[in-house]
Amino acid sequence: MSDPRGPEARPDASILLRHAIDLRNAWLGHALSTLPADRPAAEAAISDLYRLIGKPPPRFVWVESPAAALAAARPRGAPRLNHRTLPALAADWPVASQLATLISTFRSRLDRRIQRRLSAARLVGEDPRTLVHSQPPQEALRLGVRLEHVVDATVWESLEVSVHDAVAAPLRTERQRPSDDQTPLTWYGQHDAHWIARYEAWLRLGLVRASPQERHQLGVWSALARSCGWWSPSDDTCVVSERPVAVHTEPTPGGVHGQRRLHREDGMAVRYADGWGLYVLHGTVVPVWVVTEPTPERITAERNIEIRRAAIERIGWDAYITQAGLDLVAVAPDPGNPGCDLHLYDLPEEARGPRARILLAVNGSVERDGHRRRYGLTVPADLDDPVAAAGWSYGLSGDLYARLLRRT
Amino acid sequence: MSVTLAHLTARTGLDVLDHLERETAIPVLDGLQAQGDLIVIPLHLVPEVTVPSHARWRTVPPTGLELLRSTAGGNPHTLVADQAACTWTPTCVDRERLALGVLRTSGPAYLIHPEHGGSGIAPGSYVIRRQREGASTSRLTPMRVHYVAD
Repeated sequence: MSDPRGPEARPDASILLRHAIDLRNAWLGHALSTLPADRPAAEAAISDLYRLIGKPPPRFVWVESPAAALAAARPRGAPRLNHRTLPALAADWPVASQLATLISTFRSRLDRRIQRRLSAARLVGEDPRTLVHSQPPQEALRLGVRLEHVVDATVWESLEVSVHDAVAAPLRTERQRPSDDQTPLTWYGQHDAHWIARYEAWLRLGLVRASPQERHQLGVWSALARSCGWWSPSDDTCVVSERPVAVHTEPTPGGVHGQRRLHREDGMAVRYADGWGLYVLHGTVVPVWVVTEPTPERITAERNIEIRRAAIERIGWDAYITQAGLDLVAVAPDPGNPGCDLHLYDLPEEARGPRARILLAVNGSVERDGHRRRYGLTVPADLDDPVAAAGWSYGLSGDLYARLLRRT
Repeated sequence: MSVTLAHLTARTGLDVLDHLERETAIPVLDGLQAQGDLIVIPLHLVPEVTVPSHARWRTVPPTGLELLRSTAGGNPHTLVADQAACTWTPTCVDRERLALGVLRTSGPAYLIHPEHGGSGIAPGSYVIRRQREGASTSRLTPMRVHYVAD
């Protein structure tokens, strides 16, 4: 039987899944690696890719960060193609465009085959999509979710969240300058881990077929992603970035597939050798002052609510309210949260952004140390009653919110 | 039989932080209850929330239905009920745009969260809303709000 119909028919599914999880963990390690680039391996892999499109190997320019790569690639960078500048023959296209075609052809073929297999491996049970996201992988398998779906969630989706969404995307945003359309075509080396790991898992577990040529090409992408950072090819030159020298992460709360997010309280969460990088607190990208000098003045001047919240939580809500000299508007008992009060404060006159007030509330559940955490909410300035302000946060009137029976 | 956090975690395989009280019975209530950034509201209290007739209702499995997990990776709130006791639809109209969905349950249902523990929901119909924060620049400009995630 080449197509077993259930977990019983494939007693080795749990072992295969174990392999997939090991492979995911190894790839997470490559993606977050801070080792110096393996330059010979990276240059060999990129030369192989040039060879696959019939080009001689380029000259390599190594830089310390993706930001430095932008500066290095600028004078040599090929212009982006559009319908007016596109040469009629693909062989005349710039190397970067030909490589883009090579990879998109490669990926779409494998993706199609994987998708067919996923559709065939019908989702069983009442809510397998939820199961596979809420249960640890082995448990999801035990509950009847098909191996293909568990593997995709625990390898591809997990790495896409931890690497592509949490690291590569904010770095790209940071590197992008406003009104800059000259950014060269870039591949992400170690940060391409999610899709490379997906194909490796599917092939190694024997869940999908690939031609020898496809296996060879995957091997090249894989070697590249295990050896360097971002790279931008052009016809005669390829600019390649080193890996970062520091990457700080924490487990993503509630993640059952080993997801991680960037977090560092005493410096950059991602830092390259030339000092370029990102400040990130619990997954929220913040300006440098939030980490180094979160003063009440700066917080009050910050328009972005999420950044303001991250900065306030650095110094604590109580400290912020005292130091920023917020005026108390009113206090009222918190319905459903016995013994706790709601405090409503005015933001200082000089605060930027919309006119607003801060509602300070106390968590309904205790922290590990036995304390209840205080937290603030920004609310519209026309609310005068703390209970009405708390109600507003849930779309309720003060009268309705006063009927709250329990808060946890 | 009164249900405790220990029962719920055993039944669903979900876990809660180990400092939460696991052996105390979770009160099953028929009124408003808040669990961190979510609130459970009896449907009859909020006429501005309606469920269209084409809404598809799905049975809440014994292992639970994850209602919300923030993109930044917050902890999930999971709805749990005895087999076939509770149905859920995310299809509803809420003028305040805060509803995650509506549940109908014929027996006790439970909302469980790793940090906030459990909330017991008595038989009935309820809307579950998210929490928001924000402010308006003036009475004439639209509210700038975003959801709270804990």
